[in-house]
Amino acid sequence: MRDERLLERLSRRAPGEWELYVKTAESRELASTAESRSERLRREQGWAARFWEGGAPRFASACGEAELERALSRAARTPTAPAEPPEWPGGRTAGQDTPALKPPEPPPELFEEVSRRVSAESRGEASLTELTVRRGASLERIRNARGLDVSIVTERLDGFACAAGRRGARACEARAVFRWEDGPEAEALARRLADRATLPLADRRAPFPIGEWLLDPSVASALLAAAAPLFTGFPLPAWVARERLFSPRVTIVDDAAADAPWDGEGTPTRRVVVVEEGVFRTPLRDLRSARRSGEEPTGHGVRPSYRTPPAPLPRRLFFEGGRESPRELLSSVRRGLFASALTAPASLDLEADRYDVEFTGVEVLAGRAQGPVGGARASGRLSELFRRISAVSTDRQFFPTPHMTGAPTLLIERAAFE
Amino acid sequence: MDLDPSAVSRWIAPLGLRPGEIAEVFVERRRETHLFFRDGEVTEARVGLSAGVSARRRLGREERLAFVSRADEGGAHEAVRALSEMVGLSPLPAKPARGRAAEEEEDSSAPVERWRRRLAAALARHAPRHRFRWTLREVTRQVIPAGAPASSFSRRLVSLEGEFIAASRRGDEPRGFSFHAPDSEATADELKTALALAAVPRERPTPCAGGETDVVLAGGSAAVLFHEILSHPLESEAPLLSRWKETRLSVSDLEVKDDPTRLDLFGGYERDDEGTRPRAVKLLDAGRLAGSPGDRFRAGGGASNGHARRAEASDPPLVRGSNLLVAAGQATGEEMARRLSDGLWIEEIAGGSVELSSGQFRLRFPRARRVRRGKMAEETGAGIVLGETIPALRGVESGMGRDVRVCRSLGWCARAGQVVPVQGAAPDVLIRKLLVRSST
Repeated sequence: MRDERLLERLSRRAPGEWELYVKTAESRELASTAESRSERLRREQGWAARFWEGGAPRFASACGEAELERALSRAARTPTAPAEPPEWPGGRTAGQDTPALKPPEPPPELFEEVSRRVSAESRGEASLTELTVRRGASLERIRNARGLDVSIVTERLDGFACAAGRRGARACEARAVFRWEDGPEAEALARRLADRATLPLADRRAPFPIGEWLLDPSVASALLAAAAPLFTGFPLPAWVARERLFSPRVTIVDDAAADAPWDGEGTPTRRVVVVEEGVFRTPLRDLRSARRSGEEPTGHGVRPSYRTPPAPLPRRLFFEGGRESPRELLSSVRRGLFASALTAPASLDLEADRYDVEFTGVEVLAGRAQGPVGGARASGRLSELFRRISAVSTDRQFFPTPHMTGAPTLLIERAAFE
Repeated sequence: MDLDPSAVSRWIAPLGLRPGEIAEVFVERRRETHLFFRDGEVTEARVGLSAGVSARRRLGREERLAFVSRADEGGAHEAVRALSEMVGLSPLPAKPARGRAAEEEEDSSAPVERWRRRLAAALARHAPRHRFRWTLREVTRQVIPAGAPASSFSRRLVSLEGEFIAASRRGDEPRGFSFHAPDSEATADELKTALALAAVPRERPTPCAGGETDVVLAGGSAAVLFHEILSHPLESEAPLLSRWKETRLSVSDLEVKDDPTRLDLFGGYERDDEGTRPRAVKLLDAGRLAGSPGDRFRAGGGASNGHARRAEASDPPLVRGSNLLVAAGQATGEEMARRLSDGLWIEEIAGGSVELSSGQFRLRFPRARRVRRGKMAEETGAGIVLGETIPALRGVESGMGRDVRVCRSLGWCARAGQVVPVQGAAPDVLIRKLLVRSST
């Protein structure tokens, strides 16, 4: 095999304590605006090695085998404090029948269709300014000193879109990131963009200081993604009471079995119940955090890029269950705000138990939508926000944040608005 | 670089023959070393060696780019071949030119070791309890345009980012610190000084009061404001500013320029990513909108001012700002505080953003100082400065500070998913009637 020399070098440098990761990827991207069009083809190979030479952790990455050998040598030269190596998984060999990577087809041309729909959804107040759609395929192979050899093939259709809303002298921008799992969803994308680009154009601010808070799935998933470090980082902040972190109506699960059979370290993917009926049950662990805590890895060693070592991160995190339809949730609101979209990234201070969320949406009185609220802000204690989730709907949607995060419409029984 | 520019130039030439056609091959080699420091020890060493070559052709509003992750002649051949197929030209013969050479580039780890020792000493003295990531980025780029000579250029950039525990008058407190600079003989000393300053004991901050207030952006932090409200709209040709061309928008002593030729700053470069030698561009001249950054496409038949920048070889070049410089005035710090009278004195901005269609901007600051009756008063905690571009420019008061300071905490700027090094330097600037609010 071509890379035998590299494997031999790793074995010599760090006997029993190494891992080699190779990624081959190809993608085609189409970026369109009303006046321009840009096509991009990318063929990429990435190599990465983690190894514990002299008991100290080191990481090297490169775009080729020869370059990785040089990077290994350089990484080994810096004196580094020793640390426990992980308990490497072993026992699976899939290397003999490594699947081949199929070059992806060009992405679909959707600018005109999405543009037409954005205009229709917003009654002409918003226009699509940019749409980038990318279709890509990648093959990842992970081997380690214990004889593990697994391969993962991934295909993806994703991108982002921008729209601008204008009403008189007021203007607003909207940006939506998407990953389509069952083909293009132009209509849903256009609706999101139209709402985000036009609702903030309303003059009205939050009409009352306290009320119920209904969260659109996109807003709820942004909050869940921002809170996700609680599920991977330890020690937990002092305010976290594991027995009562969320309201009893909340169950949160991470299950990426449909995406890949292994994580970025070769640990099998499995369903992990992170929060069960409000109680924090199982944190998400990669190999190193599992070793530190003396627990089993959960299959959450994630590599955002071949250039960074795996880290404990969610893979497909979502709210589970939910009984009521979104319409039932809406009709149960006596006086509150429906948060349709965020107008700034959600700000969560996990140490200090604070959140601060700026959003745009609609006022709701006696179960009926009253009128748009251009900009509002909700802030307070995270611990209270989590425990005040009074209803979870059935309309779960997934959003790339960048890992896939799924949330339905949520109802918070009380929040403070500005 | 492991390729023959004349051969690559011949391959790309057919893609740049028509009038208005821009075509080039772009090659990048990047070496990144990261050391993770925790309480006096290096806990992890990471080294990344990446390389890539892309071939690009632009004609009018149509652009195509093909990228492969190897920076040798074989890679260049593959990229040009793929691009030729994308534009419908007969592709180059499949047989590659020279393959990947078993090169042995200069691979000294001496600079890393020197930095490790210096940092360990500086951290032990000024911030013994810490979590920092130190990064050395060594980037070499080469541009081979169709029908023009090739050019190559290199940069070595150092960053230190993280958090440390500092003493405050009422106990310890975590403080963020970030420093970005080109690697030079003087960089380590400058970093040490910045670290010592950041670790100075302070009062415990009171919560930042919200509402409309006057603000002095000090310590070079005004560069972040003008980066957001001038650089971004002008590089994007946003209608927000283009309709005010040559209109006086601010006081006559406000001069702002974008200068990539300042190689002592993090955003400097000798050639842009189309191979053009860059020029400084005046963005605001005597308070009036003046020039704007550009690239070969915007220059039409004329000369580009050299602001085409790529985050990586796999990205197409975008028009981007580099180093934002504000001209000095005559005022001392005491005069600025006296003129501010009552308001906020902000020395550090942790991040900023602007919405191009509305011109609304926000700047996050980790702490500030309240000024009362022209005197420095209590420390306040983190907050956000909010405003709109045109009113903020009109709110700048005549009489800038006399000392221009480099804003070393400003180091990276993201647009359209592409992150490029930037920086800025500015004197103290007084701006009336900005909205400030406390942040979590």
